[in-house]
Amino acid sequence: MDLVVAGGYAVMVGCGALGLWAGIRALRDRAVILKQLIAGGVVEALLLVQAVAALVAVLSGHGLAEPEVFWGYLVVAVLMLPAGAVVAIAERTRWSSVVLLVLALALLVMQYRVLTLWWATA
Amino acid sequence: MTELPTTTDTRRPAFGAGRVLIVVYGIFAVAATARATVQLIRDAAEAPLAYGLSAFSAVVYLVATVALAHNGRRLRVVGWVTVLFELVGVLVVGVLSLTHPELFPRDTVWSEFGSGYGYVPLVLPFLGVAWLWWSSPRRLSQANG
Repeated sequence: MDLVVAGGYAVMVGCGALGLWAGIRALRDRAVILKQLIAGGVVEALLLVQAVAALVAVLSGHGLAEPEVFWGYLVVAVLMLPAGAVVAIAERTRWSSVVLLVLALALLVMQYRVLTLWWATA
Repeated sequence: MTELPTTTDTRRPAFGAGRVLIVVYGIFAVAATARATVQLIRDAAEAPLAYGLSAFSAVVYLVATVALAHNGRRLRVVGWVTVLFELVGVLVVGVLSLTHPELFPRDTVWSEFGSGYGYVPLVLPFLGVAWLWWSSPRRLSQANG
């Protein structure tokens, strides 16, 4: 298992946990807190590690069937949690928790696509 | 120089649930833009009308996201125009793609009412209109008395 796949699984676990946490806080009518932003920062770091690992692997010969789509997903994935952090700071109501939940679920689905695209070698 | 009167606006920003809609709009706008870009790079010649329309609608979704997020006086007008454009677009292209499939040999974002995108393109403009109506400053100020 290479670093891209390991990172992908780690991101999926992290997003699942973050989404669950945000969902519970949304149900309890609470806004996103700093601890959640730090947890999001950890997931973001995992995403960056995965992106760098993918870049190194592609440069050293890992062929991709659909490189544009793969890199599109990776770049957008890196931008999503920072967007959630902006909302968390601006929106101090339960709705920031709902936004974080939506972003975590979207990242989870995107990561599944990233892994299938990674395995679809050219 | 006359002193301008200073006032403090203690009202909460008119967002709340609308932020979720804006984020969903943003995710969909980016997804549609990315998909249209890939289609245009790879095989624009296959279906120029369908892919061109997809790319144009993707840009409209991006503008709508910015307009909804900004929520200023002028950008709210832009928001209404873009959201209504999407509503008309998904209904017209949705009907045309069923009655005249030869017009759209490849799927656009609006074909068959956005079935290729989980009907998100059909639902989003209705939510956008509802949000723009709900968050109207005139309506809010009257509701607050």
